[in-house]
Amino acid sequence: MSHIELTLWVGALIGLLFGAVGQASGFCLLRGIANTAQGDSRKLRAFMLAMAIALLGTQWLAALDYFSLSDSLYIIPSFSWLSLPLGGLLFGYGMALANGCGARALVLLGSGNLRSLVVVMCLGIGAYIALSGVLAPGRIYLEQTTSMTLASRDIAGLVTLPAWAVATPIGLLIAAWAFSNANFRASPRDWISGLIIGALVPAGWYATGVLGFDDFEPMRLASLTFVAPIGASLQYLMLSTGTRLSFGVAVVGGIIIGAFAMALVRRDFHWQGFQGPGQMARSMTGAFMMGVGGVLALGCSIGQGLTGMSTLALPSIIALLCIMLGAYLGVKGPLSLANLTSSQQ
Amino acid sequence: MSHSYRIKTALSRRKVLQHGAAGLGLILLSPFAWASEAWQQLDAAKQILNGATPITQGLTLDLPHVSEDGSAVPLGIQFNGDLADDDYLTDIHLFAAGNPQPEIATFRLNELSRYPDIATRVRLNETQHVVAIAKSHQGQTFAVSQEVRITVSGCLMRSEDSQTEPLTNPRVSVNQQVAAGDSLEVRTLINHPMETGLREDSSGERLPRHIIEQFTVRLGDEVAFEAELHQSISANPYLRFHLTPHQSGELVFEWQDDQDNQARHTSELSVS
Repeated sequence: MSHIELTLWVGALIGLLFGAVGQASGFCLLRGIANTAQGDSRKLRAFMLAMAIALLGTQWLAALDYFSLSDSLYIIPSFSWLSLPLGGLLFGYGMALANGCGARALVLLGSGNLRSLVVVMCLGIGAYIALSGVLAPGRIYLEQTTSMTLASRDIAGLVTLPAWAVATPIGLLIAAWAFSNANFRASPRDWISGLIIGALVPAGWYATGVLGFDDFEPMRLASLTFVAPIGASLQYLMLSTGTRLSFGVAVVGGIIIGAFAMALVRRDFHWQGFQGPGQMARSMTGAFMMGVGGVLALGCSIGQGLTGMSTLALPSIIALLCIMLGAYLGVKGPLSLANLTSSQQ
Repeated sequence: MSHSYRIKTALSRRKVLQHGAAGLGLILLSPFAWASEAWQQLDAAKQILNGATPITQGLTLDLPHVSEDGSAVPLGIQFNGDLADDDYLTDIHLFAAGNPQPEIATFRLNELSRYPDIATRVRLNETQHVVAIAKSHQGQTFAVSQEVRITVSGCLMRSEDSQTEPLTNPRVSVNQQVAAGDSLEVRTLINHPMETGLREDSSGERLPRHIIEQFTVRLGDEVAFEAELHQSISANPYLRFHLTPHQSGELVFEWQDDQDNQARHTSELSVS
């Protein structure tokens, strides 16, 4: 087996685990934010625990020289002060409209939710419209005219310490906060999901950075992310004879199969569709916002929130905060879904 | 009645099909159709063909239909066409019809590299046809072309890869042992910016052309494989090719750039 095939199989396995765990636990940043607004923070704590595990695992592997995170697309010398936060807000609000992020939609699709099929397709098309389609020239113009150079590429550079020395206390602190809640500790479904999904991020870095490493045919260092890969998966379905399978596409395929298998095991597979055109329009709008916003923000709630954060890149922190703010605006306050739909009636 | 009627329509349908097929054949064979082949519109390719009509079977280009990164598009070329037993390919020319300078590379082959299976990475600045023309020792010509659609890169925020020191860190991956007559895969990589001479730096100054022009592989005293490279080869040139050595010796790899600087790498090969 070539190193590329091996990486793809490991990617599919990572997706399988993500799909199975996500299906069984309901791991979801949006659900976490929405529930927290109503007093139940377990899902949010599960997400934060996953972030802590991703951060610790990634930085320790990087400290042991398995790979250099500066080869990833998160550690960048400059970023757009406009399109990155704007993309984060769009993604977060779109996530609220579509009732879950791209990864969640893949998990639900495996459980028989056809609403998620529409979300996945619109998200993928939206991502490619912004990435290489009709919105790409505008996106590039925006990124170039609002580009700013960073004083430091990651947090560790600000305090001139090795990255692992900064990451370890931060990771332990976040994990301690997650476990500081009795309800969370009493909910193994949530903390186990956080532990496993968090560990899949360093596993992804390891797959592309170590198993996929080849001097002659280099592979981009990457881990879990779900905006461009969902678009690439749609493209692969249509153009597979003329394109090559990538790590991200293998993960996407794995998630659907993993979630499907877990849904069968848990007898939780149900065909579901839209209740009406209003819900469908809302989901499609949200999915397009996630696709375009995810490209502007260089990642989704998982891509920036777990994978990007695990590199300690400064733009990832900004992107994640904007995604969370966008999602919060969608679930509470004057712009929230409940508020908007009630004012229409 | 109805029976004969049915036969009649069946016949006429067959006739229509025959006419259609003949018409289609005419269109394919007409000079107009030939002229629309990518290599017929490319002066550099026409020069090499020198009026000959190339065989379109045998030469295969392995390129993605769509590429999001025009700065390093993986390209493979294989030959499995019909040649006389004592004949072999002597050169393969690669062109990017839509690049400012269409030449990508020319590979010079001989009896040691007579089963071409070559891969590299190329620059394509827009959606275009890539053309390959091959010539055999006895004068046969082969041609193939494929369209590649180039879209903008997903990660334009990353500035052009940090400049590498030219002609440093030559890397070669090759087995040290091979059975006589077996195909030996060789992979090579070297640091070089392959500056096209068309790019400007941040202050608007044109960056001077600086590329590797020649790559030569010798087995002992014998030249086994040669490549002439042009601007359309990606930075840090990568070349994968196959040799069929018959005797042991020292493999010598040499890269030469347009400023007369050289890099060298040697590797012992034992043929059993």
